Formats: sequence, structure tokens, C-alpha cells
Amino acid sequence: MGKKKKVILPPQLPPDIPDEEIEVSEEDLDFVNKNIEYAGFLSKLDTNLINRHVTRVADYKEDELEALYEKKKKKASLKKSKEEEGLQVDRVDALPIKTLDGELCYRTVEESNIAHKENGSASEVKDTDSDKGLVKLTKAQRRQKLKKSKKEAKRQAKEEVKETVAEGLHSDVLAKVEEELSAQDLFARKKIKLAEVGMALLEDPESNIKSLKELLHICIDEDHNIIKLGLMSLLAVFKDIIPGYRIRLPTEKELEMKVSKDVQKTRFYESTLLNSYKAYLLKLMAFEKDPSFHCIAVRCMCILLDAVPHFNFRENLVAAVVRNISSSDDVVRKLCCETIRSVFTNEGKHGGQVTFEAVRLIAELAKAHDCQLHPDSIEVFLSLVFDEDLGKSEPKEEKKEKLSKKKKRKQRLEQSNQLLVSEGKRRKHELMTKTRESADLKSVSFAPDSDELRRTQSEILSAVFGTYFRILKHCMNTSFQRPMMNDISSSIGLGHHPLLGPCLMGLGKFSHLIDLDFMGDLMHCLKKLAGHSDSDNGNPSVSLTVSEKLQCCIVAFRVMRNNLDALNVDLQEFYVQLYNLLLEYRPFRDRGDVLAEALKTMLWEGKQHDMQRAAAFVKRLATFALSFGSSEGMAALVTLKYLLLRNSKCRNLLENDPGGGSLSGLVVKYNADATDPHLSGALASVLWELSLLSKHYNPSISGMASSISSMASMNPLQTQAYLSTVSPLKAFEDLTIERELLKAVNRKSSFNKKGKRGSEFVIIDADKVRSLETEMDEDVIERKFEEHFIVLRDIEENEKLRLELNKTSSALRLYEEYKQQRKLKQKRKQKKQNGG
Amino acid sequence: MRPLDEKETTAVFEKLFKFTGPNLKHIVERPATEGPDEAPGRYCFRLHKNRVYYASESIIRRATNISRDRLVSIGTCIGKYTNSGVFRLTIQSLDLLAAHARHKVWLKPTAELSFLYGNAVLKGGLARITDNTHAGDGVVVYSMADVPLGFGVAARSTQDCRKADANAIVVNHQADVGEYLRNEEEL
Repeated sequence: MGKKKKVILPPQLPPDIPDEEIEVSEEDLDFVNKNIEYAGFLSKLDTNLINRHVTRVADYKEDELEALYEKKKKKASLKKSKEEEGLQVDRVDALPIKTLDGELCYRTVEESNIAHKENGSASEVKDTDSDKGLVKLTKAQRRQKLKKSKKEAKRQAKEEVKETVAEGLHSDVLAKVEEELSAQDLFARKKIKLAEVGMALLEDPESNIKSLKELLHICIDEDHNIIKLGLMSLLAVFKDIIPGYRIRLPTEKELEMKVSKDVQKTRFYESTLLNSYKAYLLKLMAFEKDPSFHCIAVRCMCILLDAVPHFNFRENLVAAVVRNISSSDDVVRKLCCETIRSVFTNEGKHGGQVTFEAVRLIAELAKAHDCQLHPDSIEVFLSLVFDEDLGKSEPKEEKKEKLSKKKKRKQRLEQSNQLLVSEGKRRKHELMTKTRESADLKSVSFAPDSDELRRTQSEILSAVFGTYFRILKHCMNTSFQRPMMNDISSSIGLGHHPLLGPCLMGLGKFSHLIDLDFMGDLMHCLKKLAGHSDSDNGNPSVSLTVSEKLQCCIVAFRVMRNNLDALNVDLQEFYVQLYNLLLEYRPFRDRGDVLAEALKTMLWEGKQHDMQRAAAFVKRLATFALSFGSSEGMAALVTLKYLLLRNSKCRNLLENDPGGGSLSGLVVKYNADATDPHLSGALASVLWELSLLSKHYNPSISGMASSISSMASMNPLQTQAYLSTVSPLKAFEDLTIERELLKAVNRKSSFNKKGKRGSEFVIIDADKVRSLETEMDEDVIERKFEEHFIVLRDIEENEKLRLELNKTSSALRLYEEYKQQRKLKQKRKQKKQNGG
Repeated sequence: MRPLDEKETTAVFEKLFKFTGPNLKHIVERPATEGPDEAPGRYCFRLHKNRVYYASESIIRRATNISRDRLVSIGTCIGKYTNSGVFRLTIQSLDLLAAHARHKVWLKPTAELSFLYGNAVLKGGLARITDNTHAGDGVVVYSMADVPLGFGVAARSTQDCRKADANAIVVNHQADVGEYLRNEEEL
């Protein structure tokens, strides 16, 4: 405006001069007097030039001239008043005297101020608007939005405060400050813009759908924070506005047809939404590769997959999430695992298709990485849910199913025998495409077709078990190759078979779903893994730890027990393995709870044992209890007692008479080193370990041992009444807790009452210790923990500081060395020059 | 009475191996407990009147004092050669087999009688079976109280047993303790 005035001013003047400056003089004089410095230019005016103008104007008639003048004057006064209005904002730097730059700056300031004002008011209005509009939405959404709007409002308020502060500060310095602030300001403005667009979108997605592109555009920025904010706000928007169905873009034919306005509008809306969603996903994929955005991109994708697993492009989402499931970054991995898990558990959202996709992708991942993944990635399978009644619900379709089942069985066998055969793959592919084709039709009726469900479920199962088998096979292969390639496998950080643990857990959980044909192979694998060596293979697998082998045994028993209705199978080889593993167990290397669980599942829960085997186990368990800690010993003793109760003939082990009489069978002498329980001749031995154990320092063990040795005189008919209810696992846990607590209590008591110790702790039992624990003051514990953590943190900080100090000092030293060397060089140069 | 020649040894060991698998080693190598000597030595196989005997060395040494036609039996008879020259394990070998058997089958109490009359074991009478049994393996048949009743040959593997119907034959009968009554004169 100022600029314009200046330009227009000269032609305004000429008509004034010939009219003897009667009219204007008062004002002008005032003005000139006031601003004498500025008005100086009047004296320097080129009168000739003006005259020329005047003459030109003077050619008009008097009346015309007068009319013209009147008009011009009116215009001028009008302009002035307008200007005054505009200038009201801040008069101080309203003077457009400075250079062109200065004027420009002034203008922007003014405009931006106005703009801000408007923005502020507009957004406020919008906020209230949105609040009003939100009433119609569901509660959860409303809450979410309220939260969001509050956040936005807060942010805006902050910005405004900043602004006002800036305004208060400024005056003539404003320009400079503005420039300095511009970076921050830009950031703030962009943030506000993001918030506004986002709010507008949430308010009325139908009409504001175009602004998605705007949002996407914001995400292309140099500022990392802006990009991150943009991604997150887009995420929030998409999460909210994505509809509960899959969008199918109209075909060309459909596009040609005439449609009503509403349909047109919806089509446009959907296509825009889809396109921008696609662009967003592409952007996320691109950012995923960028290390600085990796985390946020993965987070966005995870949330999207979690929220809208039914929507288009979910395959890409699943693929991206699965790709990161074995990431070395803990946060990313946890996030991905959680997402996949929620996809598995909330199958209703997407009808099982995504589950299958994810399982398939994970299987492929495991294959591609040669089973060297993080255990978490396989552990997600544990949260899969299978509907067992699905197969039984419709008998009329059984026949059809049978055929395909046979095929599937064959396929599975092929898979297990030689991993994936191409035929199986092809069939699967066909099936996939078929389902995808039919999905569009089926999606019309929301009720999931049970046939379809069953098919997907069996597909999922086959993929899961395929993966499990691959892992088992892989473990087997590497364990046999191991003697040759020691160093390679040990160089991998996660242990030799990172996936074996979750794999075994999964097998145990889903064992009731395994096909019976499949089971033979499974047992074979497990047997191999548990360390069973065939007669030709003298060097059994050594790479698995004792705990892992025990786990294999446990899983085998679980699988068998779950399929007990089929046939009661005696797993002799696994018993042999357990018998040998008992000798290999070391208390601090291997996991005691696994051992206790193995004892529980194999011996304590097993119904039938033949006498020889039971006796062998009784003898070995007694030896075992004698040589290890109290908790392991207790687990062993509980099992031992149970075995003796069940097998009354084995009780002659308790009698003080070696030889075993007629029962001892063919092996007359006890052979402690025998690898087969049947050939150990344990019935010929005596359980002398019990008398030693009854003098054990731990009261519960000694009590147990003496109760066992008193069983010799028991009536053989009484057995059932005495069956104890404590399982070995429980006994083990009890005693472990007790031991830990005993330690603590002992230490404490040694502080408090040194003299009084002794008789008090002999009769202590688990319950008492537990009650003691509860009696302890929680505040005291809390305080202790606090102190402990403070100390720990101090140590950590100290270490960090030291590290830094070392670094800096070494850097300084390096620099000094460098300086010295440089000096030396220079000296040499100088010498050379001097010499030259 | 004479030691087995090469061909006979193979035949006998093949039969035993079917039942005991790698445990055959234990049968051959186990220290003897019978006989009056301080060190009775090992057990060995002897052929006498078409029957194969399993006896400790010390007993065999003493048996040489008895003329061939007067000697009725030494140690344990484990099998015999039929007229057509095929080796068969007889019921007397049951103890030996049961101690070293690899594959076992437990019968339900209701099915015991049928087996002791010389019938095959049906799926319906099967209480328990050792894992990993294959068709053609020798199995020892036990009662539920772990008393060996006889032995036979598995007709189908453990896997197939699961799916077989109740009347399917699981173990083909070879010998049972009922023979002590039924075929008393032949033994």
C-alpha cells in the first residue's frame, strides 16, 4: 500500500499547483511543518516538469478540471482514511520512508500479523466447531479427538504466546528478530498448518479429502521433526478416516457409465483416499530404509496394520512389518511382534487372510535366513488361535474335505521330507489366487464362510508346522555337521539354535492339531534332537544343551499325551534319554525348572512303567538327589516316592538285602554306568542313599527321605491313599523360593541377632518364610531398592564420565603429538631451507 | 553237541536281532552266572539234536562228559531247526528275549487269554505299544502287570496302528507261554 501511494503521489500534485494551493494549504502546511525533513523534497521539485503536466491538464476546461480535481481529492482522502485503518496495527514503523527493502519487510510483518490473527481466530472457531461436530461421534472417538484438539490448542496457545512476546519485544527491532525467529517460526507455522489440516480432515473427511495431498506434501521437508510430525499426523488421520471396508476402484466400464452426483462424489473420495494412502505407504517404505526414520516408519506401519488390517495394501504392510520382526533393535522388534500378535488374536477384523499372509511371510523369512532369527519372531505363533470345532461343524462337506485333506497330507509330508516341493508351492499359489478372486465376491456378505475359514486355517497350520519342521531339521543338520564346523556356528551371537525354544513350545501347544501321519516324522526328529544315536552313528549330537534336550523329551511326551486317544505309545527311547541326561545335569549350567518339568511330565504323570525301568529310575534319582542342591534333590525325591508308590515291587530296593532275589532278572549285578535303564540291574541294588539323605541339612529333604525309607513296611494295598499331590515341578519351585528367602533371612538375622541363631531356622518351612516376607515392611524394602538403584545409577554415570574423560584426554594427547611432529617437520624444513 | 557253524550262527543271530536289536551284544557278552566254577565265563550257543541251547561255558564243559545220545538238554533251549532246515525261536527263549527286547506290546487283560490260546494280537486288545515299531520287527508281548506272555512279529508299524480299526491284526503270533501246556511233549 505504501509503495502504491508513493507512485501515485506525483500525478496527484500537479492539479494542485495551478489552483493557487488554496484548498490544500492548511493541511499541507501543517504536514510540511511537522515533517520538515521529509517534506524537503518539495523545494527540489522540478517545476518545469510539473508545468508540463499542468499545461497538459490545463487544456481541459475549467469545469472539467474542477470535477477532476474534486474526484481526485475525494479519492485521496478516501485512500488516506484507508491507509490509516491499515496502519492502526502499529504506527511506529508504518512510515514507508525507508528503502524498498524496508517497506517490503514492513508489509510482510503487517500481513503476517493479520494472517496470524485470522489464523488464530479461525482455528479457535474451528476448534469449537469440531467440538460441536464431535458430539455425534462415538465415545471413544470423541475422547480421542478431544484429546487431540486439546493438544492442538495447547500447542497453538504456546505459539501465540511466543508471538505476542515477540510482538511485545519488537518495535523497530522486529525485523531482525523476525529473521532470527523465522526458522522456529517456520517450524511452528508448519506445525500449526499440520494441525489445522488434520483437524479439518477429521472434521469432515468427505469435503476436505483433497488436503491429504497437502499433508503428504508437508512431509517432504528438510526438517526431520516436521517429517516425523507429518507422518504421525497422517497416521492419525488415516487411522480415523479409513472406512471399515475394502475400497475397490471402479473399472473402466464402470467409469463410463453415467452415475449420480453422490456416487461420483463417493468415487472421487475413495479414489483420492486410496491414492494418498498408497503414496503415504510408499513414503513409509522409503523412510523405512533411512536409518534416521526407520523407527518411526516402522511404528506407523505397525499401528496402521493393527488398526486397519482389512484395508487395501495390507499385504505390503504385513510384508514390511514381518521384514522387521527379527530386527536387532529391541524397540522395533517388540513393536512388530506385538502387532503381529494382535493381528493373530483379532482375526475377526480381517477374516483370517492377513493371519495367513503373516504366517506365510514369517515362514519364508525363516527359510531365507536359514533359521537364524530372533526367537521372538517365531514366538508370535504361540498366539495363533485355531478353531477346533471348525472341522466337525459341517458333516455334509466332509467328503469333499477328505479328498483335499489327503492331498494336503501328502503335501505336508512332502514338505517335511524335503522342505518345499515345487508342486506344493504351485498348489498353494493357485489356492491363494483363487481365494483372492473369490474374496471380492465374498466380501459382500459379511458372515465368514466356514468352508473358507477352514481352508485358511489349514493353510495357516501347514505353514506353521512347515516352519517348525524346518527349524527342527535345521537344528538336526547343524548338530550333525557341528564337529566339522565348530567356529562358524559359534560365531552367531544368539546361540546355535535360537529358534528351537519357541519352536518346541509351539509344538507342545499345537500338538493336538498335528496330523497323525505327521507325527512319526516329528517323533523321529525329536528323538534325534534329544540325543538318541542310531547304532551306526557313534557320535550323537553334542551341540544341544541338556536343557534343550530335556525340552525335546517334554515336548515329545506332550504330543503323545495330547493324542492319547489314538494309541497309548510307550516312548522308550525318550526314557533312555532322560535316564542319561540325569547324569549330565549340572545345577548352574542347566535349568533346574526344565529338569523338574521333565520329571513331572515323564515320570510323575506317566501312568505305566515297567518294573525294571522304574527301579532304574528310582536308583538313579536317589543318586541324583544326593549329589545336587536341595531344590533339585527335592524334585527327584518327590518323583522317587511316587514311583515307589506306584510300583510296589520296586519297594524291595528299600530292603537291606542286595541281590534282588528272583526279581532281579537277567542282570544280577547293579551297573551304575549303564545307559539303558533295562540293563542297569537296579533291582539288585539297595537304596542306601536314603539313609544319607535323611541327615540332609535341609529339613524338608531329610523329612522326605525318612518318610520314603519308612515305606518298606507299608502294606502294598495302601498305595493309592498315600499318593502325594505335590508335583516335582511345584516342589522344585517351592524349595527354590525357600532357598532364596532363607539366604536373605539368614543374612538379616546375622545382622540383627547374632546370638540367637541356630534352632530357629531348622524348623523353618516355606509357608513360614513366606509369611516372614509379607511381614517385612514395604517401605523399608522400597527405600532399600531406591538406595540400590541410586548407587547403580551413580556407578553407571561415573563410568560414562570416565569414558568421556579418557576419550578427551586421548584426543588431547593425540593433538599434542601431532603438534610436536609438526614442529619437528617444520624445524627440519627450516633446517633444509637454511642449508639450501 | 557242537558249536554252531557260520551259517547257523547267522541264522540264529538274525532271529535274535529282530527282537533285541543292538542289545544282541549284551546277550552274547554278558558274564555267566550259572555253573559251579569260580569264573563261569560267558554264555555260548550249542547245537544238539537240531536244537540250539544257550548255556554258560562251565556247564558246557561239564556236559561234554555225557555221551551225545544220552544228553537231553543243557542250559536254556532257545530254538530249534525244523525238518526243512529253518531256525525257529521257541517259547523257552522268552526270558532271554524279554530282558533285552527293544519293542514291546502290552495287552489288555481281556485280550490275554486269546493270545495264550495262540491267536494273533488285535488292535482292540492292544493296551500299549512301544514307539517306533516297524512292521516285521520282533515284539515281546506283556500283560499289563509286566509279565511276559510270548512273542511275535509286528504286523504293522506304530503309526499304522493308530489308524487301524479294532479288528486289525497288530502282532502275528509266534510263541506264547500257553505252549507249555498245549505242546508239552514237543518242547
